[in-house]
Amino acid sequence: MIAPALLSPLLGTEALFDQGVGWFVLVVVVIKVLVAFAVLMGAVILMIWFERKLISDMQSRIGPNRAGPWGLLQTLADGIKLFFKEDLIPDQSDRFVFKLAPYLALLPALLIFTVVPVGGIIVISGHPIQLQVADPPIGILLVLAMSSIAVYGVMLAGWSSGSKYPLLGSVRASAQMISYEAALGLTVVAVVLITGSLSTRRIVISQSPNFWDWNFFRLGVVPFILFMIAITAELTRPPFDLTEADSELVGGFNTEYSSLRFALFYLAEFMNTITMSAIVVTLFLGGPDGPIPRFIPTSDVWMPILWFLIKTFAFLFIYVWLRAALPRLRYDQLMDLGWKRLIPFTLAWLLLVAAFVLSGWWGLGIALAVVAAGFLLTRAFAVGQGREDLDQAVLPPIGRRVLPPQLLRTPPTAGDVGPGPGSEGAS
Amino acid sequence: MSGILTAAVHPTIPDLITFIVAGLMVLAGAVGVILSRNPVHSALSLVLTLFGIAVLFIAQQAEFLAAVQVIVYAGAIVVLFLFVIMFLGVDKRENIESDPLRGQRPLAVVLMVVVLAAVIALGVNAHWATGVHHLVGRTGTPASNTARLGRSVFTTYLFAFEATAGLLVIAVVGAVVLARRPPESTGEADLEESEALGTGSDADGELGDGSAAALPEAAAAADESAEGMAPAGSEPA
Amino acid sequence: MIKPTLVDQYLAIFLLLVVGVLFAAGSFVASATLGPKKKPSGAKVAPYECGIVPDKEPPSRFPVRFYLVAMIFIIFDIEIVFLYPFAVIFRQLGSFGLVEVLIFSVVVFVSLLYLVSTGALSWGPAKRLQSGMPSRTSESTITRITAEADGPSTHQAA
Repeated sequence: MIAPALLSPLLGTEALFDQGVGWFVLVVVVIKVLVAFAVLMGAVILMIWFERKLISDMQSRIGPNRAGPWGLLQTLADGIKLFFKEDLIPDQSDRFVFKLAPYLALLPALLIFTVVPVGGIIVISGHPIQLQVADPPIGILLVLAMSSIAVYGVMLAGWSSGSKYPLLGSVRASAQMISYEAALGLTVVAVVLITGSLSTRRIVISQSPNFWDWNFFRLGVVPFILFMIAITAELTRPPFDLTEADSELVGGFNTEYSSLRFALFYLAEFMNTITMSAIVVTLFLGGPDGPIPRFIPTSDVWMPILWFLIKTFAFLFIYVWLRAALPRLRYDQLMDLGWKRLIPFTLAWLLLVAAFVLSGWWGLGIALAVVAAGFLLTRAFAVGQGREDLDQAVLPPIGRRVLPPQLLRTPPTAGDVGPGPGSEGAS
Repeated sequence: MSGILTAAVHPTIPDLITFIVAGLMVLAGAVGVILSRNPVHSALSLVLTLFGIAVLFIAQQAEFLAAVQVIVYAGAIVVLFLFVIMFLGVDKRENIESDPLRGQRPLAVVLMVVVLAAVIALGVNAHWATGVHHLVGRTGTPASNTARLGRSVFTTYLFAFEATAGLLVIAVVGAVVLARRPPESTGEADLEESEALGTGSDADGELGDGSAAALPEAAAAADESAEGMAPAGSEPA
Repeated sequence: MIKPTLVDQYLAIFLLLVVGVLFAAGSFVASATLGPKKKPSGAKVAPYECGIVPDKEPPSRFPVRFYLVAMIFIIFDIEIVFLYPFAVIFRQLGSFGLVEVLIFSVVVFVSLLYLVSTGALSWGPAKRLQSGMPSRTSESTITRITAEADGPSTHQAA
């Protein structure tokens, strides 16, 4: 063991390295990182299979069933196939940005996972090790920072392709993602408020030991629902998948991507789904918290991990379910929901939570104020709608076409019922 | 105080590596912003610079600032820049031969020399520009960093905080005023102009393709409702 | 010097970043090695539009609403960022903090009211295409579709 002594001056006088544990800590960090990466990759492969299989079941199809048992190896086969495919770069593209975009899509997805606590603390030869890749004091802000970076992948991919449909997909997607980020940020504030810390581990610890301490219940369910809506839109998963609305935009922002660059976007999308499910579990469902059968030896090590996996899996199921069940939103509905509904709602609920943390009287007062604000907002909606109807909105209307006169419906008058579509056949 | 100073004067090797790498990121990004011919590349270089600064913030234990740096600057402001560059058609390579201001290049060189000289002079003379690792502004244990910041924002600098809210409202109004259509062309004028253009789009010069195609659902919805209306009065019986 | 954060926490994040970049770069190298080498034809590198030869340039300008959304987002983002330190120390500030943030929220809310009431956050389609037309709502669409489904028979009967 001469190497640590040799290298310790090089590694400096960090607190961790002072006490002669430098190598141990370093090795643990490296192992954590590699395990996290491998687990995420494996999870993505399984998730893609799971989504395809579950969707098929919901649509009375069989789904992938050739490669491996129950088609489990289908994703792997697809991935390997993509290695052998032609890597096309469109001649009208911005080559540098076109090549950069897949990285920008993948890396945020990967980094968000670092702050997710997947289990408790295990002790190996006297060193306590958190089952979490990293626990920076600003943990949850790292998640928000990375999700705000995730816009770049989509935006640059669409723009750099130099093609119509990807561009349209990316314009829509980037406006959508930034719109829902505001609502996302506000719901996270409510969680931080009740925890008093930005660290994900503390957020998880504050939700133990009983399930009614979970933020899901403590914050009164509503922020959880709002967060789920916002995060689904942020992930551009159905029903918010206007990015790749296949019926309109060919394949959305990644239409021009082929071969492995396409695979990376696909990978990033599913990795994002998994990590965001894990974040929902962390923020609202107590992370690895759950009853531990202590009579089974070592159950306090693996049982939290199992709980975490079960909860995360439940959310993955919900995402697939949403995709199978819900039709896609129209763009104006999407923007209305994000700006006009979610943001005021989350802000009001945040103030309510803060007031009720202080005292019931404050809570009551704020509740009344929120109701009043709700009336004001309704009034504002009416005013805005009226302006739109009278063509006095401050912005030019979108989607307004001047119709050929024969298509214009004359105001219906009494007794004057126009012929229906079948009239031609009749006459 | 002296304890902190002595500790601070000798930055550790990881500190040094972090500083050098982050510094290189900042500089490379800054050079990229200036030298890129394509504005999109410039904006991306700006993101690199902002990230470098975020890393420097983390090295100084100002973690909250690092997060805010990424969330607000990289996640919102540069996104707006890119929106404007990419989706307003200014991404064609600019003609850099003609200057908007006469003599701006020599002026830029002069200004750069002056600023650089000032920075170096200050760095030599003042004790606060030594680049040492967290000196007096140190905010104690890292976990309480955000809390300390909050305490000073919400007690000492309360007025500034509330004033910011007012400032942001002004910004909202400003944004809407900037974006709104010119007041003289409303109502009938809109329609006539669109009819004349044959695109039936908006009055303020947006391309018909863009506005309709970005919102195909909207266009489709308009068409759909038009079809739905057809039976009512299309052919008098 | 107490500085456990940089190495213990951020090193891990940095390492995962490196692993991610290496993975992506390695995959690209593998793909370039394994994939077909011949130069793709002109049709392959042309913009993909389901086989139709593109005859129009991609739109170069988009509705002003997209920029407005980006601008408003910056403002709301800044407002939200202020709330994090508040949330962290809320229990220490107590009712004083609540009143502070209440004032702040009222101001934010007023700007939202302004945006909503001027129609700045409204996205098409315009609910009424011409004045005098009935507004297009979910109910009207359902009614219309129902009418179309039943349409021919009823009209023929009439």
